[in-house]
Amino acid sequence: MTVVIDGRELEPPEPLQRVLAALDVLADGEEMRVLLYCHPVPLISILESNGYAWQETLLEDGTHELRIRRPRP
Amino acid sequence: MLSFEQAPPLSASFRFFLTAPWFGVAAGLLLAWEGPEALLSRWSPPALALTHLLTAGFLLQAMCGALLQFIPVATGANVWRPLLIANFVHPALLAGALLLALSLARARTELLPAAEALLGVGLGAFCAVCGLALLRTTTGMSLPALRTAIAALAVTTVLGLLLAQAYTGRLQIALPALTDLHAAWGLGGWALVLLAGVSFTVVPMFQMTPPYPPWLPRLLPATLALALAAASVGVFASAPSWLWSLAIALAAVPAVAFALVTLRLQQRRRRARTDATFAFFRGAMIMLLAAAAACLASSLGPEFAQAQPLPVVIGVLCLVGVFVSAVSGMLYKIVPFIATLKLPHRAGSSLAPPSIKMFIPERSMVAQMRLHFAALALLLACLAIPQLTRLAGVAFALSCAWLGTNLLRGLRVYVALRDQIRADAAVHGS
Repeated sequence: MTVVIDGRELEPPEPLQRVLAALDVLADGEEMRVLLYCHPVPLISILESNGYAWQETLLEDGTHELRIRRPRP
Repeated sequence: MLSFEQAPPLSASFRFFLTAPWFGVAAGLLLAWEGPEALLSRWSPPALALTHLLTAGFLLQAMCGALLQFIPVATGANVWRPLLIANFVHPALLAGALLLALSLARARTELLPAAEALLGVGLGAFCAVCGLALLRTTTGMSLPALRTAIAALAVTTVLGLLLAQAYTGRLQIALPALTDLHAAWGLGGWALVLLAGVSFTVVPMFQMTPPYPPWLPRLLPATLALALAAASVGVFASAPSWLWSLAIALAAVPAVAFALVTLRLQQRRRRARTDATFAFFRGAMIMLLAAAAACLASSLGPEFAQAQPLPVVIGVLCLVGVFVSAVSGMLYKIVPFIATLKLPHRAGSSLAPPSIKMFIPERSMVAQMRLHFAALALLLACLAIPQLTRLAGVAFALSCAWLGTNLLRGLRVYVALRDQIRADAAVHGS
């Protein structure tokens, strides 16, 4: 299952707040898809320091798509 | 829950933000007290004091506080012990800027060594810590500009210390040329490059615009650094005056490009609604175009450079029109932004999640923004109609006091929300 957070029209820091809240309840095997108009440096620092697996793709319309999974136990 | 752990504690930056506007109040009141004489020449003691209340006071406080938060957010770099640095740098800059302004306003040179020591040590520590953090990272489109800005702040500080020596007769050096160079590094190297560097990240983020074209963050810091290096050679190697003019023309290109690109991006924003920050930035960019035109006019020859009131017009356009406007707009976004992120975690709380709009009422920000631009118009008008000078000073002081009050209100809302969340958590936890 994929959880989608579209932060493109939200005013910062709301996208970051939503992602952090959703990561709390992200189940093993679930994937989170985050859509933003910028490269989210703070979010990526947080993901890396907590061991989350993530992948970023720049879509044609300028959207940064992040796919995030929980750290492996 | 994960936290926004890279950013330093709220108090590290907020002490700078809450102090900054009151230097503007002091500048406005000084202008109102001194009257038209203050702006007759850029060399008058009140004009020197006014300049440094705005640069070493208002702008330095706001920009140093913002950098402590911005470096981790935009580049992922960690500033070493930000709270300790703030505990040391904030009082040093505060006391140093006040002593410097007092010393210049009353021509009391016995106060200058203390001001030099405080500003020199405070800025030295700040540049060292931020510079090291920026050298250890490779992330973010703002990085080249931030590195250049910190280097330019260090050069500005050294030139300022040399000027203080020359001002008190401890060093024999051409005062006017060195002053121009100090101003060029401070405004063109530190303030403008920092404003651009921060804008490359926050304008698309907060104003919902498309991103800046990648060439601008690469070329702007390099071109301005090259122009300032050429200007420095011109001053220290006693090169012909055309080199100074060439340096100004070279610096004007990225400044104008930054202003035009920002205005174009604002036009292409994805959200139709505008707010105080949007208007502050639009005003700042229009003023940057005007300031660049005035600087180019002054570089046409010595008869233009010294033609009154052109130097004072450039000062008002740059300091109040560009930098106070942009910084005010930025503070209205970053204070609520940081406050929202720093609120305690509210898992299981019955309270609604915080919104960035809860901290400072939009109506109050818009009204203050209108007063700011009215004060700017009066400051420019009083150069032609001196009778307006005291009114311009009072208007600017009121505008800055309103800004300070709005920011303080944001902090009060943060404290109230934080206490409410803690109380709610205690009830749910018991």
